[in-house]
Amino acid sequence: MSAPDPAAGQPAEPFLRFDRVAIRLGGKDVVSLARLDVARGEFVCIVGPSGCGKTTLLRAAAGLLRPAEGEVRRNGRLITEPSREMAMVFQDYGRALLPWRTVDGNVALALEAAGTPRTEWPGRIADALRKVGLQAHGQHFPAQLSGGMQQRAQIARCLAQRPTLMLLDEPFGALDAITRQGLQDELARLAREQGLTVLFVTHDLEEAIYLGDRVIAMRTNPGPGRPSLARAIEVPIDRPRHQLATREDPTFLRLRRELFDHIERGHA
Amino acid sequence: MPEPRGSRRWPWRTLRATAFPLLLLGLFEATARRAAALGSEVLAPPSAALRALAQAALDGSLWPATGFTLGAAALGLLLGAGLGTLAGVTLGLSARASRATFLSIELLRPLPSVALLPLAMLVFGFGTGLETSLVAFGTFWPQLLLIQAAVRRVDPQLLELGRLLGLSTAQRIRKIVLPAIVPRVFTALRLGMGFALVIAVTVELAGNPHGMGYAMLLAQQSLAPAMMIGWLAWIGVIGVLLNTTMLRLQRALDRRMGVAV
Amino acid sequence: MKSAWPASLALLAALIALWWAASLTGWFSPAFLPTPQATAASLTEGLRGDLLQASLATIGRMLQGWLLAAVAGIALGAAIASSATLRPWVQPTLEFLRPLPASAVMPLAIALYGLSPAMVLSVVAFGALWPTLLATVHGITSVEPRLIDVARCLRLSRAAFLWKMGLPNAVPDILAGLRLSLTVALIVSTLGEMLASQDGLGLAILVASRAFRASELFACLVLLSLIGLAGHALLVLAGRWLLRGQRH
Repeated sequence: MSAPDPAAGQPAEPFLRFDRVAIRLGGKDVVSLARLDVARGEFVCIVGPSGCGKTTLLRAAAGLLRPAEGEVRRNGRLITEPSREMAMVFQDYGRALLPWRTVDGNVALALEAAGTPRTEWPGRIADALRKVGLQAHGQHFPAQLSGGMQQRAQIARCLAQRPTLMLLDEPFGALDAITRQGLQDELARLAREQGLTVLFVTHDLEEAIYLGDRVIAMRTNPGPGRPSLARAIEVPIDRPRHQLATREDPTFLRLRRELFDHIERGHA
Repeated sequence: MPEPRGSRRWPWRTLRATAFPLLLLGLFEATARRAAALGSEVLAPPSAALRALAQAALDGSLWPATGFTLGAAALGLLLGAGLGTLAGVTLGLSARASRATFLSIELLRPLPSVALLPLAMLVFGFGTGLETSLVAFGTFWPQLLLIQAAVRRVDPQLLELGRLLGLSTAQRIRKIVLPAIVPRVFTALRLGMGFALVIAVTVELAGNPHGMGYAMLLAQQSLAPAMMIGWLAWIGVIGVLLNTTMLRLQRALDRRMGVAV
Repeated sequence: MKSAWPASLALLAALIALWWAASLTGWFSPAFLPTPQATAASLTEGLRGDLLQASLATIGRMLQGWLLAAVAGIALGAAIASSATLRPWVQPTLEFLRPLPASAVMPLAIALYGLSPAMVLSVVAFGALWPTLLATVHGITSVEPRLIDVARCLRLSRAAFLWKMGLPNAVPDILAGLRLSLTVALIVSTLGEMLASQDGLGLAILVASRAFRASELFACLVLLSLIGLAGHALLVLAGRWLLRGQRH
């Protein structure tokens, strides 16, 4: 089943709400009339081709930029700047880690920023590294790690913040397929275990359906009468999902076809 | 931290860039005027320096000195940077030569040109030769090192492509290595120009009785502080003009060669 | 990677042999080309006495000026770089001052302060200030935009940003700036010793040249070159140690 309006049918006080958000960059409307409600604990994926504004939308949710029109609210509160309850994972992990600190040091950055007492650090760092499977690499520098491990280190730093909302901007795009699959499953498990609300941006349709409770298709060149968030698709597949079995599930294939058609038709 | 936006429009930007130096000049002017009023013979206000400089420009004494320094610097740069580029390319291309020359270069490179001045004076006496030789020595080493590094940094994939296309070594050098290093050669040349000017002026300060440095020294020794400061400012202006011109040329070159500006 | 030492030493030995051969031909007056042996003799003799003193004086002056410049350069650079309001006012002036010859300030300094060790030291520090200052500003302002995003997401204060991101990011640039500053310090020290007749290798060179003692002059040049080499090598080693583990 698919709901044409992404904002319909959600509880009264959503965890994250985009209310008719428009974002202008360089004089152009990159995001227009975006309406989206995300419930607490929901895993929402946003798909679209390059340049459709999905990164921009995510940055607005993070508080890194302000919309020209409309509002973004978390827990009812207007988002005007970043907050430590929100953690953002960037695609270019190499540039999002401090190269002069070890993995431990990078995770510690989140704790330093939050003013966490030093006595708690070793425990929290070990905890975060264990969750992403990097407990043996705490003393390594990012340059000594593979791409997948660096991305996991970034995720570990985000987890150390103990966020309620996680924003991921094409986090696995720069990784090889095998690593990507492993990290997809790890992320799904972490989100479930920690009860995280996740907003996940990707250009990969299958990844979006595999990971999400809901998939929102985003269109390029929005305008009046053509809102950015064009189409929402519910993903009623049970969790935990499996790389092979789920991807061969008839529901998965149907949703995939639907999404593909929708995007191919030029985001009608 | 991110730069505040909205304040980049033309008049505001120029105003902001010049406010600080104008403030400093103003302070200098006030201090120097007071010192002059108290009978100082060593400090002069910028206004007096400007007048002295203008006077020198009008009566023709500014130009020969400027010409001499620039001429000697240019000649020395041509020699030093020219040879430095050749040597740099050679060493960059040959790992063996690079290894063999490493120690000799490290020993000769740190020698300040000014330390060689007395020696060069014994060989050349006063005049252009003295200055040119020292500028050449001083600009040779940085050029050598920068070009050597530039050649080493040429994308190995490009060189592999050359081999795959069946280019001979000479062709690879001509068609891939040399064009690839042109922007860096230019940067090195721009820096070299700065060095050349510094070395030339320094040599004049230390003994060569020609050029801007010497004129400045004369002014100081004959207790004409306005002229001394005028020369200092003029040297600075020349340095900045040269650098700015080279930067513009470099940007134009980068654009033409497809380097990201 | 094959070691450079054997081939390098061999070439150096060959060059010295060439030098020796040239001095034997008699084409070059011994007034300005002494034999290698004579140079070596002057070196060992001088190191037992006045050349050692001169070397120490030059090293001392160079190091003091460089240290002053390093501290001031990094502190000022950090201050300028971390103030987004201050930077646009000051940075254009700094870029403007970059190509200016520091040694040209010497006559002004002599006029103001006379011929004294303090005068030379102040010009040395002044000249050595700029490379480190400019490198510090550049290093701090060239933090990856992605890291700036991370800093904003973590809500780092300006001081925390400077200490945890700006300065660490600037370390390679600052090291390069410090190397350049040391070179400038040596040059200006030598010049200052010559112009202001201050004790040091610069003066020793001047004295030797006036007395036509070429071997002593060359011995001074060897010492200067060794001082420059040592300073540079130490900074390179320090840099390697500071940046261990990172990819640069």
